[in-house]
Parts: sequence; structure tokens; C-alpha cells
Amino acid sequence: MPINYYIFLSIALFAIGIVGVLTRRNAIIIFMCIELMLNAVNLLLVAFSKMHHLKAVAIDAASTAGTDGQLFVFFIMVVAAAEVTVGLAIIVMLYRNIHSVDVNFLNRLKH
Amino acid sequence: MNITQILFWFLSVVALFSALMVITNKNPVYSVLWLIVTFFAISGHYILLNAQFLAIVNIIVYAGAIMVLFLFVIMLMNLNKETEPQKNRWLRMAGAVAGGCLLLVLVAALKDTDIKQQQAMVNGGSIGLIKNLGKELFTTYVVPFEISSILFLSAMVGAVVIGKKE
Amino acid sequence: MIYFLQTNINTTDASSYLPVALQVAFAVGLVIFLTVVTHLLGPKRKTSDKLQNFASGIESHGDARQPMAIKYFLTAILFVLFDVEVIFFYPYAVNFKGLGWDGFWAVLMFVGFFLCGFTYILKKGALKWED
Repeated sequence: MPINYYIFLSIALFAIGIVGVLTRRNAIIIFMCIELMLNAVNLLLVAFSKMHHLKAVAIDAASTAGTDGQLFVFFIMVVAAAEVTVGLAIIVMLYRNIHSVDVNFLNRLKH
Repeated sequence: MNITQILFWFLSVVALFSALMVITNKNPVYSVLWLIVTFFAISGHYILLNAQFLAIVNIIVYAGAIMVLFLFVIMLMNLNKETEPQKNRWLRMAGAVAGGCLLLVLVAALKDTDIKQQQAMVNGGSIGLIKNLGKELFTTYVVPFEISSILFLSAMVGAVVIGKKE
Repeated sequence: MIYFLQTNINTTDASSYLPVALQVAFAVGLVIFLTVVTHLLGPKRKTSDKLQNFASGIESHGDARQPMAIKYFLTAILFVLFDVEVIFFYPYAVNFKGLGWDGFWAVLMFVGFFLCGFTYILKKGALKWED
């Protein structure tokens, strides 16, 4: 597949995530949109790693170039899992204190 | 149009449509379910790119664990369509326009790059297989692997400290 | 199609996922087909009694989505962390012989850190189900 198809697909998914973050007020939906953006970036990294691999294989058939790109995606997923646990714990505690997940009520740090 | 291209377009349409449904749906539970569909479509893309291990990890970690946690939290708080907070119409429109502008700028910037002649290898190449990734992970990247366990330790401590009621 | 299913013995490329794709297509197709067919063939009597949820004969009340106690949430969060730990074992299990003792010590250290976290969780009583 031409690489620019993957680039445009990832950009579209990323932009949808941005629009979601900007238009919603529910903290959980905003968090989900951030996950969506992470996934768009992951898809692009995998596509680039396969592009790199295709070029390297043309020179040396036994090349393993591109493995590091995929491992990078693996670490992104793993770190995202750790981030989600702490983030959701914070959201749950906010809900316990103010009985809402509306981000407009969470502006107390400003005052 | 061969079968790879058909699958690519099908998965792209599914991913984009369900991503749009995530942000337009009023009910948070439906948003979570549509996001799971998006993740499955992205996993399909990984399989198409022959990144088999990442496809499985994506399904197990994202669709299997993280989204279930999100669903659990939404049910825990009893959020539904009636209690969903809404931004006013102008703010929402401004957000959509801003996101659309970003999309436009990125597409315009990347439309004429040299990279578009390049191809991504689909349906072949063995770098995405679990054996090769594992070999690299436990030899070259063994230090990040250990550091990730420390990260998990801190995430555990953080979750317990934040989440445990005294 | 049958040709592909019979000749494909190369498990290293994406086309080896064809049986999986067929199975997924069959599962999703069956669900959609049965839902549509029941709607088309089934008799429709839309009275208010008929549309009510069945609650073992008693009058139905409230929402099906009851809010749960927040204390169960910590268990779900910790499940996700240990789920990701197990993901790391798949690549190790495939390369177990090739990595030898070096890989073993690396994984042992990894598991050791998780055990530290696990003892912390147990000490804090985060997994205690009853208060």
C-alpha cells in the first residue's frame, strides 16, 4: 500500500480525536479521545516501520530493520495502560468529591 | 483492485465511521462500544501490515482491558444520556472548526512530500512476528523492559493511594 | 476461496489469517442475520404490557444500570496492570530457549518488581472485598 494512504488515515483519526477533546465536556469521553489519538499515532508508526523494512529488505533480504518501530508501539501501548489506570483513578476520585465528571466544574485550580 | 486494497478501504471506512460515532454519540456507553469497534478496525490494519503481535496486544490490552475499565467506570457513575453534560452550540462548533483546520493544515502540508512514492509492505515481512519482536525486546531493549516494570510499580502504588478510601 | 484455505501453509504472512477472518465474518454475519430475520418473521404485538421488561412477574422498576460501589473499581484497575504484565510473557515464552539465563534473570527482575507492588497492594488491603 502507498504510505500516504496510511498517513492520511492516521491524520484523520487524530483530527477526530482532537475534535472530540474540544467538543465534549465529559472527562471520560475526553480521555477516550486521547486514547484514540494514541492509536492513530501507533498505526502510523507501524506503517512507517513496514515502509522502512521494505526498503531494507530490498538491499539485504535477511534484514530486521523496522523491529524497533514496532517495539516502540508496544511500549506506547503498555505505557498507555499504566496511564489509563492512574487517570481513571483520578476521575473516579473527582466524581466521588464533586459528583460530576463535567470538566467545567474542575476549574478550581484557577482560583 | 485486489483483496488487500479492498480490505484496506473497508477497515479505513469502519475505523473512521466508528471514530466519528464515538465523538457524536450522546450516550457514553455507546461511545465506549464504538471505540471498541475502532480498535478492532485498527487491529485489522495491523494484521494487514503483518504486525501480528501488535494486533493481538491491541485487542487484549485496549479492547479487552482498557475499554472494559472505561465501561466499568461509566456504569459505576451511572452516566447516561440524561446526565451527559453538553457544551453550548457555539463552543462545539468552534471545536469542530479548529479540528477541521488542523486536519486541513496537516493534509496540505503532507500532500506533496517526497515520501508518497514509498510503499508500506503489506501481507509479508517477518518483523512483526512475536518471535522476532521478543528476541529484540529481551536483548537490545531489556533496559526499557525493566524500566516499564518500575513504571507499573509506580502506577500500582498511585492507583492504590488515589483510589483507596481511608 | 477453498484453494486459499487448502494451500496456505505459510504462517508468517497476513493471508494466513484468512480462516480467522472467515470465522469473524461468519460470527458477525450470523448475529446480524438472526436479528434481522427475527424482526421480519416474528409477530408484532406492541401493547404496553408486551413491551415491558420481564422481572419474574413483579412490577418492573428503576434502571437496569445500577451504580456500583466504588470499592470494586480498584480491583478492576489492578486487573488491567497485571493483564499487561502477562502480555510481556508471550514474547518471552516463544524465545525461552534462545534467550537462556540472561533472559531468565531479566524476567525474574521484572516479576520481582511486580511482586513488590503486589505485596504493597495486599498490605494496604486494596483487594479486600468486604469492609
